[in-house]
Amino acid sequence: METIALTINGIRISCPEGKSILEAAESHGIKIPKLCYHHSLQPFGACRLCLVEDKKTGRLFASCVTPAAPEMVLLSDSPQIIKHRRNIISLMMAEHPESCIVCNKGNRCQLRMIAAELGIGENHLYPMPNPKPLEQANPFIIRDLSKCILCGKCIRADHELVCAGAIDYNSRGFKSRPATLHELPLEKSTCTFCGTCVSICPTGALSTKTDFAGTPERESASICGFCGIGCNLTLGVAGNQIVDVNPSHIEKSVNDATLCVRGHFAHDFLNSTQRLTKPLVRKEKNLTPASWDEALGTIAKRILEIKKQHGPESIAFLGSSKCSNEENYLFQKIARGIVETNNVDNGGYLSGRLFLSLIEGRADTAGRFNFFAGPLSGLEQAEVIFVLGAEPAQTAPVLDYYLKRSVKKGIPLIVANPCKGSLTGNSSIWIHPSGAPLSNQNFLDTFYLELVNLISVQLLEKDATDTSFMSRFTSGYEKYKTDLLSLDQKVSVKKANLDIQAINNAVDLLTGKKITFVIGDELMLQRYGKEVMESLLNLALMTGSIGYKGAGFHVLSKENNMVGSWDMGTVPETLPGRLMINDGNDRNIWEKAWKTKIPKTKGLDLFQMMKKAEEGSLKAIYIMGENPLRSLPQPNILSKSLESLEFIVVQDILFNETVNIADVVLPGAAFSEKAGSFTNMEGKIQCFSPALQPPGNAKSDLEILGLIAEKMGSPEYENTHEGIRKEISGTLSTYSDTTACKHPIWIRERIQEQNNMDEKQICFSPVASSKETVGDNDYPYTALFESLRFHLGSGTRTEHSTRISTCDSKGEIEVSPIDAKKMNLIKDDRIKVTSVTGELERTVKINRDIRSGFIHIPTAYNHNDARHLIQLAPLLDASSNGWDSCQVSVVKVDRVNNRQLER
Amino acid sequence: MNPNEIDWGKFSEITGKHQGEKWGLIPLLQEIQESVGFIPPEAIESIAETLNLPPSQVQGVITFYSGFSTEPKGKCVLKVCRGTACHVKGGKSILRMIQKDLNLEEGETSPDYQFTLETAACLGACFLAPAMMVDREYYGKLNPIKVTSVLGEYRKDKGED
Repeated sequence: METIALTINGIRISCPEGKSILEAAESHGIKIPKLCYHHSLQPFGACRLCLVEDKKTGRLFASCVTPAAPEMVLLSDSPQIIKHRRNIISLMMAEHPESCIVCNKGNRCQLRMIAAELGIGENHLYPMPNPKPLEQANPFIIRDLSKCILCGKCIRADHELVCAGAIDYNSRGFKSRPATLHELPLEKSTCTFCGTCVSICPTGALSTKTDFAGTPERESASICGFCGIGCNLTLGVAGNQIVDVNPSHIEKSVNDATLCVRGHFAHDFLNSTQRLTKPLVRKEKNLTPASWDEALGTIAKRILEIKKQHGPESIAFLGSSKCSNEENYLFQKIARGIVETNNVDNGGYLSGRLFLSLIEGRADTAGRFNFFAGPLSGLEQAEVIFVLGAEPAQTAPVLDYYLKRSVKKGIPLIVANPCKGSLTGNSSIWIHPSGAPLSNQNFLDTFYLELVNLISVQLLEKDATDTSFMSRFTSGYEKYKTDLLSLDQKVSVKKANLDIQAINNAVDLLTGKKITFVIGDELMLQRYGKEVMESLLNLALMTGSIGYKGAGFHVLSKENNMVGSWDMGTVPETLPGRLMINDGNDRNIWEKAWKTKIPKTKGLDLFQMMKKAEEGSLKAIYIMGENPLRSLPQPNILSKSLESLEFIVVQDILFNETVNIADVVLPGAAFSEKAGSFTNMEGKIQCFSPALQPPGNAKSDLEILGLIAEKMGSPEYENTHEGIRKEISGTLSTYSDTTACKHPIWIRERIQEQNNMDEKQICFSPVASSKETVGDNDYPYTALFESLRFHLGSGTRTEHSTRISTCDSKGEIEVSPIDAKKMNLIKDDRIKVTSVTGELERTVKINRDIRSGFIHIPTAYNHNDARHLIQLAPLLDASSNGWDSCQVSVVKVDRVNNRQLER
Repeated sequence: MNPNEIDWGKFSEITGKHQGEKWGLIPLLQEIQESVGFIPPEAIESIAETLNLPPSQVQGVITFYSGFSTEPKGKCVLKVCRGTACHVKGGKSILRMIQKDLNLEEGETSPDYQFTLETAACLGACFLAPAMMVDREYYGKLNPIKVTSVLGEYRKDKGED
């Protein structure tokens, strides 16, 4: 691209061709005031404040929409321009209410800042206020459109970045305002309350609904602690509280100027009164406050005693997919180095970690290929996107924005999801079961597997395979091909009630393209999750969608540090750096670094820990930052088996279900109160530093772990961030240290390029097919468990946000109109849902998009009672029915005693 | 057009024709305005779905152009010119006279949906001042007698129906 030179205010500057005058000026530190321009949005030219004057002709340009041209000579602050700017601002102020003193935007209002810079105080114009009713019925956003200056930033952010389309200009001229459809309040529109418009609004027209009045004392950069996107945040701090959360000002961050409702509003939990502030030790059945010394001493003493008495295998360590990389590293080092057990896992077990291991297990040992697709920005350059079992609009909304933006750019999107969702309307093809179920069976179990099989067969039949890729890098293709072609397509279609036309269309779209897969945890929690994943990996190999720009797998992660905790070895089968426990060479690397022996065999995973606790062979568990009693199925059985343990340590930030049964409770720090790093679902490691102090006597989790190691007799264990990062990068050559930059990525991604080794490495896995399920007449309905965007995971943190809990969604069970009629249900009726393992009671809501025979139960509500319905069985295992759906019976509550209405 | 008489068949015929069209919004709205007489607000969502646009955007376009209306209009739409030339030539009195005759204020529609009275900033027919339009017909050099006869014509038109 050519560089052009121009002069602004007598300063000679240069910029690439195609840049606007404003961008060119700003990149050289020349400040031009503006209200409607935002670097992430298309320039709009609405506010006219960014005027510049052409010195030669005297013409005025709006610099945001005028491309810089060679040899331009411009002035940005000539008397003529200043006069115009003052007039524009005066006109805006004449329409603006005089409420600056009580305005929520306060000192952050850009209109006020510019007015002050231009010295506009008393206005000589006749005031013409444009009063509008204040809209504040929803718990998140206050809209005061009398303060709107029509810059259109909210509308453009809504359309260009978030792609929700909830608001647009309405009417014309003086009456014109951003409005929802039929000018309804936001909560009755398609608004998702992501809050992007609030952060981007230059005036007080849009503001956050909060108890805090005024401007935060200072701002601090951080990383969001909810889902795996790892959004960059700016935390507004006042006193010792986080009062305001906005997307960070960093350009090119993963979330850019967007956030979601959780990121923006649910961080209230940080200021909750339920925060743990002092160590607690159980004395005579009661948790009583204790000193740090006493609490840590008890832990060290008891764990070492139990190790001596019952052996290291009787102790388990549950790390956290929400805690930082450094904490997880030290946590598993204590487990493996001091306690000598590989019984280490983390909560990522519930949200996709097993898929990561599965994918990694298939990767070639030479490290030439990475199945993972890398940065999310690659989605906007993909050839075709295939979303399976994911509803990112609810679980990781920023990914939903990425997908919708890709669609806007014309990238074909195929969505396989049994239910209508946020993406199905935007997709080129939506694959879903057609028609009603034939019998009382959960044909959704077979849906994904059969559909992936069918697509693979049809692509094979069309010869739409990447033969050069396969012949160079894969083995076992011939057998795979024969097996796949022998599948009876008709049976597959029938088993899963598939719409064959949609499959044909999808195959046409996929032909000859490299595929970018987006895999959601719904798929992993599925009965055939493992088989589906294996089939998808086969499909990726067959089409050569690996190691190709933008192609590969995005595994949607619900937890902010699911990838990091896996990388750091807080899992039973791998050591930090994804090195295998059962491989002597791999183990040797860490044994040398830690100067200790590491047990040779794979430890217990989360499910097995709970099973062993039930059986009685597990004696103690150390839980850091997880709440298994709320997040795992069948909590009633679990709490009994956990309570029977000899010793439970819980290190957490909030009082929760698991804290209640602990013997020692250690108050940790939330992400905003400590330093560390998180690895997001892209594999990008982002560091953060504390915005404030932990509450009361709470300590940062790394400090706590360091003290534990010391008490257990290993004071030499590294317990600083720098020390741990150095230890990792010094041990593993593939990990490098670049702590010099401001937001450092201190672990390098593994090598991604293809090279010319012609050794065949990656095997096709055998073709799997589903079994037909038999319906159970006692449980005629299929309950699907779905996450809603207001809560994350089990809702342990999000339930502490009053804004979230006062919002409209109360976790109503959604029922199809047909079933509602059958059961004589109307909105807000209470129903009892019973499965083999448990029951729950909630109100209902009728939804036309629900398939008859199915009910949708939102998780995380009512202490996550949905978990009572699911059977605690291992994930990705043939013996399990999966965790995302189960067979249930439904009864209207007031008539329970008479008879069961629907069988 | 009486709002109770919306021809939804005609409506879906039009939307069907523009299904998925890239720049089809304004032509589609024009056709609906023409054949239905107005754009029913409850139809905005289905129009948006037809063209894969956010409904708020469709509403924005409808409310921006005065050629589109979300309220049913009368069979005859009167537009009285308020331009400078017409004003000088007594346009204001013409408007007042029509208002009195039809018992309508600006922007109102008669209860029988025969007339809608509107004004325009300028009809661009200054040489005919004072002027008005009924539907697509121009009527210029108006005086009270001419106005009465024009209104009578269109009333008669109603009688024939």
